Amino acid sequence: MMTKHFRLIVGTVFALTVTFALQTAGPRGAAPKFYSDDPLQREPETQDASKVQEWEIDLFWDLAENLFGNPGAKRPLVKSRDVNTIDEVPNSSWFTNRIGTETLSVSDVVRGPLTGDGPAPGTWSVTRPKEAGFAPGFTMKDAKGDTWFVSFDANGFPEAATGAILAANKIFWALGYWQAENYLVDIQPKELAIADTAVVRTPAGKRRQMKQSDLEDVLRRSHKSPDGSYRAIAAKALPGRTLGGFRYRDTRPDDPNDVIPHEDRRTLRALKVFGAWTNLVDMKAGNTLDTLITENGKGLVRHYLQDVGSTFGTGANAPREYDEGWEYLWEGDKVMKRLITLGFFVQPWQTVNYTENPAIGRFEGVEFDPTEWKPRVPTAAFVRARADDNFWAARRVMAFSDDMIRAIASAGQYHDEAAAKLLADVLIQRRDKIGTAYLNAINPVVNFALDGSDTLTFQNAAVEGRVANEPASGYTVRWFTFDNGTGNTTAIGSPTATTDRRAKAPAGLPSATGAIVKVQIVGTDPAHAAWAAPVDVYFRRGASGWALVGVERLPDSVSERKP
Amino acid sequence: MSRIDAKARHPLRYRFSLTTICFTVFALIVIPRLAGAQDSRAAEIAAEQSRKATDLKAYQPSGAEKWAIRLRREFIDLPSGFYPYFGSVYSGGGFTLGAGFRQYYGDRTHWDVKGLYSLKSYKFLEFSTDSWGHAQGKVDLHGRLGWRDATQVSYYGLGMDTVEDDRSTFRLKQGYVGGNMNVRPVRPLVFGAGATYEDYSMGSGQGNVPSIEEIFTPVTAPGLGVSPKYLHTTGSAGIDWRAPGAGYARRGGLYEVRYHNYADQDKTYSFDRADGEIAQHIPILRETWVISLHGLVQTTLSDDDQVPYFLLPSLGSGSTLRAYPSWRFRDRHSLLMSGEFRWIPSRLAIDMALFYDTGKVAPRWDDLSLKGLKSDVGIGIRFHGPVATPLRIELAKGSEGMNLVFGGSAAW
Repeated sequence: MMTKHFRLIVGTVFALTVTFALQTAGPRGAAPKFYSDDPLQREPETQDASKVQEWEIDLFWDLAENLFGNPGAKRPLVKSRDVNTIDEVPNSSWFTNRIGTETLSVSDVVRGPLTGDGPAPGTWSVTRPKEAGFAPGFTMKDAKGDTWFVSFDANGFPEAATGAILAANKIFWALGYWQAENYLVDIQPKELAIADTAVVRTPAGKRRQMKQSDLEDVLRRSHKSPDGSYRAIAAKALPGRTLGGFRYRDTRPDDPNDVIPHEDRRTLRALKVFGAWTNLVDMKAGNTLDTLITENGKGLVRHYLQDVGSTFGTGANAPREYDEGWEYLWEGDKVMKRLITLGFFVQPWQTVNYTENPAIGRFEGVEFDPTEWKPRVPTAAFVRARADDNFWAARRVMAFSDDMIRAIASAGQYHDEAAAKLLADVLIQRRDKIGTAYLNAINPVVNFALDGSDTLTFQNAAVEGRVANEPASGYTVRWFTFDNGTGNTTAIGSPTATTDRRAKAPAGLPSATGAIVKVQIVGTDPAHAAWAAPVDVYFRRGASGWALVGVERLPDSVSERKP
Repeated sequence: MSRIDAKARHPLRYRFSLTTICFTVFALIVIPRLAGAQDSRAAEIAAEQSRKATDLKAYQPSGAEKWAIRLRREFIDLPSGFYPYFGSVYSGGGFTLGAGFRQYYGDRTHWDVKGLYSLKSYKFLEFSTDSWGHAQGKVDLHGRLGWRDATQVSYYGLGMDTVEDDRSTFRLKQGYVGGNMNVRPVRPLVFGAGATYEDYSMGSGQGNVPSIEEIFTPVTAPGLGVSPKYLHTTGSAGIDWRAPGAGYARRGGLYEVRYHNYADQDKTYSFDRADGEIAQHIPILRETWVISLHGLVQTTLSDDDQVPYFLLPSLGSGSTLRAYPSWRFRDRHSLLMSGEFRWIPSRLAIDMALFYDTGKVAPRWDDLSLKGLKSDVGIGIRFHGPVATPLRIELAKGSEGMNLVFGGSAAW
């Protein structure tokens, strides 16, 4: 009996040992490059996050850490981890595919995140003055009892902050970010009533019942229209419980679904490009907001970009400082050069011409260089943006048509038509510069398809965007079979050349369902050396034909980084 | 060796092989699934989230972050409580160390106790109350009760012809109580008014130079030997549009006149003085450079009034003739003109300046000409915030050598 049990035990141990060895010693093996559900269209969020707690990210520390700690440079520069296998960003609590992937009309973009008609007319019930940020404002309830965060234009700067919020809100919504609903309202002081429960935080740090003088203090800092009203933005209270902002690095440790370091999220890296386009210089945790919502009975954290009105040429209280968008708040080498040269180390921001419009501020597109644009403080995500992230973002920027941009600028509801025109003109100029800089910095082939006749078609994003011509010597296409288990490839036929972005596959493409082919495309043009880097495209044969399953523009890890 | 023989010699071998094969096959199929290998991308991500769900924790700030937050809360945010205090007891007193305690008793009103002690044993203690933003933010009110002891204040004699070797010192103790108000009815107009009772107690100077009474007489040091008590009233009017702020300006200006009435309680040393001050900041190339100009005239209004030596207009160090020591020149009237070529290495924190100061003191108003001026040149670095200049370090050279100036405010 002992002998029988002994055999059983020894056999089991041996089997487990062999299995463990096979599982761990081999190439991780056995994990295929493409799963059956690739490419994902939605980022899974499987865990209940309802135990997430509100936190406060210290503004002072956030600024100091990003300015002097350079947190984004400490790890190898890897590919964004929130992209699917076709190098796109699936929908998630961070991002929703809109412009560039969905069909958006001009009116869709102009409506943006709005779902209703705005605050109910009637008397506002003021519950407290606005405490965050510099813009004067209140938290108020409208006649229906809905809560709104209302902010005014600063005294002396009519339409500047409110116009920027209206326009930027629509831009960032179209780009895919979660945005609050912002409505333009005109408020007469007589429409404001202080709620019985309204409290105010005094300079002494204490809270007390709000008084009429507190209300008047806020209005005194706000711009009064000739008719006595105050133009304001009413931002609808976000659904769910607010949790504080998110950092541009690491993950939220109490959110189980937050497993991708924020600095490796393309949606945040892409703000390098989106920020450059709109001059979103105030990129900080304090301008973000997480909320806990419930979906399908499960708590999920949704991530909002807040205060996107910190854009274009004006801040909450005044036009931008001249160096904003051109330099970080602190750049040691430039400080030293200016110091020892008595200031004669002159930078572009010191001489660039602005068409200064009081409603738009200092915003220009002639000297603008998107690759040199900088927010006040570099975030970890900002410094880790790679060429493929910038390319992805630039395609979205380029998807905004001139008409769309002009409609967005008009949505700022500036009384001075020149203001809207200036804003639109500059956005168009900056858009085109972004396209030129980032669509050409990488092999820009896109929109791949392999049809039933085994003919490959694709497009060139730079050509589509009218920032480049077709490559002088056309494209070279190489075909391979691809073993999804081992990653091995075998060439099929000889490379083919095309100038019209159509290439018939050589004979020998696999016909079995589930088979994968790899197609490697390069563009040859002396003017665009970056186009010679191949883009690897993968198609999987399904029941209804070939389906795109993979796109690789850059290796997972690249060494070059521009701090 | 036959197969049967082998079995006979190794009775376990056959069964062992079957068992092993079965378990191995089973394990190879089942264990990857149990161990977490996934067959879909979604499952792979879900597994990662599932693992994190077992290890959730609240955010733990680093030690440096904790310190930064603590410093901000205790020294910037918290309006009530202890705070470090660096200031000046009296010009020429040297570095100070000090602390204060502030307590709010209204929305914008607090009382404050603060004290300083300097390297030269100067001492300062003050109880004050400040209340800002009355009348729709247009009026600020301040009250002060304080005492200072300056143990070795320099005195070189009257006029511009004194020499360094004539330096003597005196001790000044001053108790005071009073208040003032600042009014900004409409930008950029500014008005001020105040009244302070000042009780001076004068004595022999300390240190290693002669005390004032050893060198000077009441003729060469008016009021020597007296310790007057004054009701000091002031009034001022001006326009002030310095920006970003008066404590750190890169543009705008200040044009202001001030009137002082020192009413001696014994009537002997009463006098009136008027000050006129102009400061203009001219930005060049988007504040890459700033030309800052400053003029200050102080004049005793009546030739018949007697002004005690320690309240005479003076020039030296600080933001006056910066190459000269504090209180280097004193007389009944003074004229100061300064110009700075400033450049801004960092809008966040650092300013630099090349400067030129020139000025004189004179016994009569008519003598305030541009002849006989003392001058200096120098270079300075200023560490500033958005609207304040907490540290200014300047090296200046004049006819009497070099002087290093440390200041806790903007030059003007």
